[in-house]
Amino acid sequence: MPELGRAALVVCFGLALYAVVAGFWGAHTRRRRLSRSAQNALVAAFACTIVASAVLLVALARSDFTFTYVAQHTSRELPTPYKLASFYGGQEGSLLLWLLVLTGYSTAAVLLDRKAGRELVVWVVPVLGVVAAFFSMLVVFVASPFHTQLANVDGAGLNPSLQSPYFQIHPPLLYLGYVGLTVPFAFAMGALLSGRTDERWIVATRRWTLAAWMFLGVGQLLGAKWAYEEVGWGGYYAWDPVENAALMPWLAATAFLHSVMVQEKKGMLKVWNMLLVMLAFSLSLFGTFLTRSGVLNSIHSFTESSIGPWFLGFICFVVAASLALLFYRLPMLRAKTKLESLVSREATFLYNNLLLVALCLTILWGVTFPILSEAVRGEAVTVGRPYYNFFFRSFGLPLLLLMGIGPLIAWRRASLSSLKRIFFGPTVFALAVGILLIALGAGSSLPGLIAYTFSAFVAATIVLEFARGTAARRTLSGDSVPRAFTSLIARNRRRYGGYVVHAAIVLLAIGIAGSSAYNTSRSARLGPGQSLKLRDYTLVYRGVTNTRSANAIEERATIDVYRGGSRIAVMHPGKNDYPVEQQVSNEVAIRSDWLTGEDLFLITEQVNGNGTIDFKAIINPLVNMIWLAGLVFVLGSVITLWPDAREEQRLAIRYGRLARAPEPQA
Amino acid sequence: MIALSVAAVLAVFLLYSSIAGGGTPSLRPSSLSGHSGKVSVSGVVLKPVTGDAHGAGLRFRLRDKNGTAAVPIVYKGTVPDAFKAGGDIVVDGRYANGVFTAIPGTLITKCPSKYTPKQTT
Amino acid sequence: MLTAALVIGALLAVAAVWFVARPFLGREPDVLPAEPPPERLALEEERDRALAALKDLEFDHRTGKISDDDYRGLVGDLRRDAAEALKALDRGTPRADARVPD
Repeated sequence: MPELGRAALVVCFGLALYAVVAGFWGAHTRRRRLSRSAQNALVAAFACTIVASAVLLVALARSDFTFTYVAQHTSRELPTPYKLASFYGGQEGSLLLWLLVLTGYSTAAVLLDRKAGRELVVWVVPVLGVVAAFFSMLVVFVASPFHTQLANVDGAGLNPSLQSPYFQIHPPLLYLGYVGLTVPFAFAMGALLSGRTDERWIVATRRWTLAAWMFLGVGQLLGAKWAYEEVGWGGYYAWDPVENAALMPWLAATAFLHSVMVQEKKGMLKVWNMLLVMLAFSLSLFGTFLTRSGVLNSIHSFTESSIGPWFLGFICFVVAASLALLFYRLPMLRAKTKLESLVSREATFLYNNLLLVALCLTILWGVTFPILSEAVRGEAVTVGRPYYNFFFRSFGLPLLLLMGIGPLIAWRRASLSSLKRIFFGPTVFALAVGILLIALGAGSSLPGLIAYTFSAFVAATIVLEFARGTAARRTLSGDSVPRAFTSLIARNRRRYGGYVVHAAIVLLAIGIAGSSAYNTSRSARLGPGQSLKLRDYTLVYRGVTNTRSANAIEERATIDVYRGGSRIAVMHPGKNDYPVEQQVSNEVAIRSDWLTGEDLFLITEQVNGNGTIDFKAIINPLVNMIWLAGLVFVLGSVITLWPDAREEQRLAIRYGRLARAPEPQA
Repeated sequence: MIALSVAAVLAVFLLYSSIAGGGTPSLRPSSLSGHSGKVSVSGVVLKPVTGDAHGAGLRFRLRDKNGTAAVPIVYKGTVPDAFKAGGDIVVDGRYANGVFTAIPGTLITKCPSKYTPKQTT
Repeated sequence: MLTAALVIGALLAVAAVWFVARPFLGREPDVLPAEPPPERLALEEERDRALAALKDLEFDHRTGKISDDDYRGLVGDLRRDAAEALKALDRGTPRADARVPD
């Protein structure tokens, strides 16, 4: 069976190479058959990857330890869902997953996308083929999932921290995001290669970019939730290089989503958009490289691997080739329109872009600094949280404010009087909230206070937008309020879906500010019956229990939680001991208060021989806003993604499928 | 205009870097001597591991990953679950008089397989 | 097991080759279909942009973001832009429905 897997991947590699060569040649000489053949090769490559993936999944499910990969990442006792999820738990498997998603997306992109037009697609195919060829080359020659060995009695097992539902879906979602950014990149390169400077590539890839961006965002939030619950130090983001690896392309993609709107409305920023999509894709490759090659000292990836140099080489190639192409086509891309006013919606989009890209680049600098300093000074110097926090606040808070300002400013230019009128309400509201918060003690953290005040401002603007829109709709159609509201959103999906996403970001900001600027914690060593007081909670330690589960020994401390004199919960923080993997994992206990959105976070750090425990309690205010933000984020993205029949028709006419004569038949 | 903004951003952050004095040097036990400030040291944990991290302090020796030079370490604070003799760790602290005194809570473990984040604040 | 793997693998390779070779066996002409020339596309995008700008202005005015004075000031320019875009598009029409390029 491993032979089948290997063979399928070799065929896939051959097909990808063919797609590149035939694709470029067919597009260059405008030969339809050759281009079609190249396109078919991509689709066939997808089929081959499916076969290879199926072989691996079957081997995992059957615990076939003749597969080295299966032996390294699973064990007999492992529950089946985790066995299957180990498909992407190791390096080789995750590369195969990249390839699977890539060929899948490629197939969908070239088959389903009618808006793009043949002239563009014939160039997109070979670009996608190049990326597919790279990844299939890796899984065939450098890091094959199909190495065989003499079967072990049992495998090495899965790291216990990864045995969590969050971690089962976190990698696939992230990959749907990372790989998804390949499609807009390929279309952008296709546009440059075909010499077309129109917006077709943007129109064709708008939903792809949105979907990839959504998956990347959700994937990161799930990763944060996993870190919060499984790794359990009380936080959810450590500015670890691998976390940053996913954040950077997401920031670039966010900037891109906004700046394409400017190109759409005003025909400006064509070159900037090209650069952004290149940046997003390169960062996505770089992110995969960071996670996989162990090039940096991070708690995520300490192994040196063979694929590092290949990745670096490919990234350099991609950056160099795309920049060269852009430079070659530069004269065609120059826009005729200029920015009319520094106070206009276009301008706020530009500021938003600058801030996002600046944040992205500072994170990139922080991540690569250790390598660079080691190369230059001979000593690796790491930057810590203070660096990231400083820039996150410096750029993030203005971004938050812009989110409230942008939607309210008109396109082209806004007059001072209309600005005063529009912003009066939200500003007053925000100031009132700010003063109230200071009275409640939020002045202890200035960034936190600013974050809350800005959030109030943005929230007010969003509410006003919906209110004004609904009112305007009602004057037009005379509908009731609910009907007007839904039809408003239905007729303006992009605008109001975008507002919902902004609302999600506001919730995120509130959650982050609350849990990082206003949290409290205490540690103590407790004997049975002793208690620890933290703000209005009293925590009493009762004792320790041990139970046996399928693959672990579970040690739990029983803690009674009192508030206001009555017991509100019993919590069981503790540890799991996994004999097969020879590891211990932290199992924290979290109690979420639904009224206040805060979490009581308990960690049993150490169980001592004399019956005492070393114990830490943390209160994270408003942290659940972050997870709520995730849900709202998905809702907003889905609204924005939702197909719009009228828009589709308009684009179909523009790109000549309805109003034109039918294509010549043989 | 874009160029101006980029320049402004670079200026801000270069300013910060110079004020903040850069980051923390990442060293090995063999290269510790001569550094008196806060540093980060990484290496392999040697037996025996004695003491109590939540009491008087956890004591062990840390060896270079590719070498024999070792340094004694005293650590107080949260110990990640994956910590054990023979494992790779990173910890921040100060080196003085032949002993590395760790900053509480900065011990991070590495695990042999990928995707294994073990972290404490 | 090994023979099953070999058979499936061989079938896969054959299927792939057939699928890739298929376009060469068809009867369609070996040229790409006609598409609107770039100049016309640019004009159409210009027109769509001008019309969208007008629509945005109306929307902003109706929802109260732009005052009546501002609206009066801006709408003239936008209407003019839209009219020019439409005229340019009409002028460019005879060159539409491009022949098959060689």
